Amino acid sequence: MKIYVEKAAFTRRQFFKGAGVLLISAVITGVLSKIGLDALAISDDYVEKRAAGLYQLDESMTIRRSHENPEILRLYQDFLSPGQVSPLSEKSEHLLHTRYGKDIPHLIEEMKKSEAAA
Amino acid sequence: MSEIKGKVLKHSGQTRTMHWLHLLTFTVLTVTGIGFYFHLDFISNIFGGAASASVVHRWAGVLFTIGPTLYILANFERFSRFVDTITTFTGDDFNWLKTMGGYIPFLKGEVPPQDKYNAGQKLLGLLIIFGCLLVIITGFPMWLLRHDVAPAFLAFCYTIHLWTAVILVLAIGGHFFLAAIHPKSRVEFWSMMVDGYVDAEVTAHHNAKWFSQLKSM
Repeated sequence: MKIYVEKAAFTRRQFFKGAGVLLISAVITGVLSKIGLDALAISDDYVEKRAAGLYQLDESMTIRRSHENPEILRLYQDFLSPGQVSPLSEKSEHLLHTRYGKDIPHLIEEMKKSEAAA
Repeated sequence: MSEIKGKVLKHSGQTRTMHWLHLLTFTVLTVTGIGFYFHLDFISNIFGGAASASVVHRWAGVLFTIGPTLYILANFERFSRFVDTITTFTGDDFNWLKTMGGYIPFLKGEVPPQDKYNAGQKLLGLLIIFGCLLVIITGFPMWLLRHDVAPAFLAFCYTIHLWTAVILVLAIGGHFFLAAIHPKSRVEFWSMMVDGYVDAEVTAHHNAKWFSQLKSM
């Protein structure tokens, strides 16, 4: 049985076309990489500026640490833990600690009970 | 009975191996991708859950990339011949597209003689080369650089990846129908999937220009 097989020579035109497709593929990959790197640079620039702004705001504050804030200290001494500064006092925990989500109905029940008791 | 006897070696062993690898990986990538996009748990569960399906998708993508890359490096001459054929469009190719090769019943007209690949296969070849390139170069940043690149760029990659995949799936669906099911063209199925040979008589009819070149060698 006769078998037909391709035997034509590899031409210059075929070489350039094959290489051309690989070159176009490399260019497309390069363009996408450039878009990605540019987007990353813009993103990094934004993050840097935002962080610098926050630091600048923080540095311009007169009182920079909450535990040294005279108003907070007085609030503890006069009301939350009378006579001392005790952030973990029962009253401060009860009034300042936030509840959320599934704890809200339980908090409402507690508040109703304390109101009724008062 | 036709006068033309013999067989034509249309697809080499390495080409068939690469085609098989791409067929299997593309199928896995498509199935897992559809599972992710439409949140179809029954698809993800085939691969052991959503997390495992994601790992399978990524590594199938690696094979999907390595297969043709190795093929091109090892068969640059064959690849170049293929590219030369699918980028050469003559009047016969445009006339083939006008009649859609006789596959569409209401498009009448004489089907002109074709190269090793007909005009439809040429367009599919170009679509597959550049479509695969796009899904590959957008897929890897989605996997390896997702914590490093800008979210807007990642969203851009997701969009390109999705729509290129949709176009590829539709095109490959048509390719499967014509290559494996349609009675006029499924004679090629055995050639690409098994032994690489096509009857000379079939080639003389479907790829008359190429066959005349083969005869003259």
